[in-house]
Amino acid sequence: MNAIQRFFRRYIISTVGIILLFFCVNIALFFAVLLVGSASGSESSFSVQVFSDHLSPQGSTWIIDDTGLRMLEENQAWAMLLDPSGTVVWEHALPENLPRSYTSAEVASFSRWYLEDYPVKVWGEPDGGLLVIGFPPRSWIKYYYALEQPYLTVLCGGSVAVFLSNLLLVVFLILRNTRKVEKAMTPILQGIQDVSQGKAEPLQERGELAEICTGLNRAAAYMRQKDNTRAEWIRGISHDIRTPLSMVLGYASELEENESLPRDARTQAGIIRREGEKIKQLISDLNLTTKLEYALQPIHPTELDLVELCRQAVSEVINNGLPVQYELTFTAAQPGRVLWLHGDENLLLRMLENLIRNSIVHNPQGCKIRVSAGVECEQYVCCIADSGTGLSPSGIALLNNGQGLPTTQNGSADCEHGLGLKLVVQIAKAHNARIQYASSDPHGLTVKVFFPVQNG
Amino acid sequence: MANHTLLLVDDDRDVLEMLSSIFRRAGYTDLLTATSGNEALALWREKNPAMIVLDVTMPDRDGFSVLKEIRRTSRVPVLMLTARGEAEDRIEGLETGADDYLAKPFLPKELILRVSAILGRVYPDTQEVVALAHASVDLANAEAIRDGKRIALTAKEMQLFTKLYQNAGRIVTTGALCQTICGDYWQGYESTLSTHIRHLREKIEENPSKPVSLITVKGLGYRLMLKENAR
Repeated sequence: MNAIQRFFRRYIISTVGIILLFFCVNIALFFAVLLVGSASGSESSFSVQVFSDHLSPQGSTWIIDDTGLRMLEENQAWAMLLDPSGTVVWEHALPENLPRSYTSAEVASFSRWYLEDYPVKVWGEPDGGLLVIGFPPRSWIKYYYALEQPYLTVLCGGSVAVFLSNLLLVVFLILRNTRKVEKAMTPILQGIQDVSQGKAEPLQERGELAEICTGLNRAAAYMRQKDNTRAEWIRGISHDIRTPLSMVLGYASELEENESLPRDARTQAGIIRREGEKIKQLISDLNLTTKLEYALQPIHPTELDLVELCRQAVSEVINNGLPVQYELTFTAAQPGRVLWLHGDENLLLRMLENLIRNSIVHNPQGCKIRVSAGVECEQYVCCIADSGTGLSPSGIALLNNGQGLPTTQNGSADCEHGLGLKLVVQIAKAHNARIQYASSDPHGLTVKVFFPVQNG
Repeated sequence: MANHTLLLVDDDRDVLEMLSSIFRRAGYTDLLTATSGNEALALWREKNPAMIVLDVTMPDRDGFSVLKEIRRTSRVPVLMLTARGEAEDRIEGLETGADDYLAKPFLPKELILRVSAILGRVYPDTQEVVALAHASVDLANAEAIRDGKRIALTAKEMQLFTKLYQNAGRIVTTGALCQTICGDYWQGYESTLSTHIRHLREKIEENPSKPVSLITVKGLGYRLMLKENAR
């Protein structure tokens, strides 16, 4: 899962979390409102049943105790007791305008609704009488709600279904929209990543975000053009320098080999020739590194034997003249075993020669250079170890961290850590190889290049 | 080699002068020079040189076009010598029919070696006898001559010797030698190579166990030392 997918996954999870939080908060708020509403009424709800306990018959009349009276006063309520025929047999604070006798229809009406705007509560006494408590108008609101059982079942079930459907619909729409945004954004985000790595593919300029794609394509084209211009510029410069440098090398060699010239003049011609060769190498490295940097160098992979490749690189260095202060040897760790690689022969030879020449250039006093090829940690490895001055631990750490060494030019081109190692890293990268730097024992530098083992 | 006529083509007169100087010093005295493609074609038709050293970038027609014209009727060896050193240029040159391609800047020694190698390959000296420390090899008859005796070389030994002779003084890797006698799929034939080398040494060395002409370079391959270089 890449960073973009991770981002959208997190976005979806957080959105679903937000929805759940939204519902939880709403449910909590709903109950809070209910609680506050109930708290805003009288402290305790008037219970007619409780009140009836404080009303007791005494002979032919009824007596209310102090608690009952207090209950009525606190609620500004009045009370009356009807006998089974509907006649008021006891009353307390009953408004004058209210009748003292009620028909069954009137009783049925006010017990459900109001008695002359007075909201009332009723309680059936055990003897068949009806206790009626009336409250001040507009102090209570009465509803009457009657539903058939199946309808109520459907209503409750339907409400739950509607709630769940809404929830699912919201989640579905969020997921759909997120997917839509992800689909539109992924190529753009990938494009931005590609542009940052200098390998942008053209994006399709369509949809709502076509403008962004167009902008990215324009940015990529601009960068490509800039890269090409830079590469062309380097190529042009190096091309223009080739012919004059040929003259320098040609005539310097001529003078160096001209035995009729004084010894000093020939020595100086030799110096010019050697420096010219360094410029030649530098141009060649500059050209190749530029092309690898801007992916202008096509890789021509073939099946290669790492052992023979090392032999060729070592032989080439020796054949081109190795000063006597150096000893260069090659060893196959497992003689007879073929270490098949899939790679560009010329580039890999260049890489190995650069590593060997690196040991030569940085140890002008001379050293032993041991090249070997074998298998280590289930990978093919080519090792170039020298007994020279080596590098400081911090220098080795820098190289192992993928950072080039800072240029250590101190007036001598021999001391420059420049394009040689950069080329090595680029060529290794092009072959999925890994480079490891370490100190040799007791001194010197060991460079190991690990190649993935070919399957099949 | 001094008898071969070389045609040097470059639009830069300074370069031509330098090339002439390099070849003269190497013993090539019969030199023709041309500063344009058309002049080169005219000289080639008129003088029929043994080999052409051809620049690519020229004002009237480029080297590739000149080479194409030449290749319509002739197999004269051509070495392209140019500032256009890109891989695609090399490939185009070799595909057009160049025998070799050398990019500027070049070392005079490398140019001479390449030209000599091409001339040696295209115009083999049938009478050439290679002198070694304790023997000589008659290339035409595939025979080693030691102490006045002529010893026949097998085809494989001759292939090996020729490869080593073409690279005399230089290390030739085990793989390159195996490829010479076994083709592209040479892996696993190293012991066969050792056998052929041993037989070859028996024919050209005074003491095969202490060779001075066909030397083993440990871990890498072999090196043929000619008489003047034999240690």
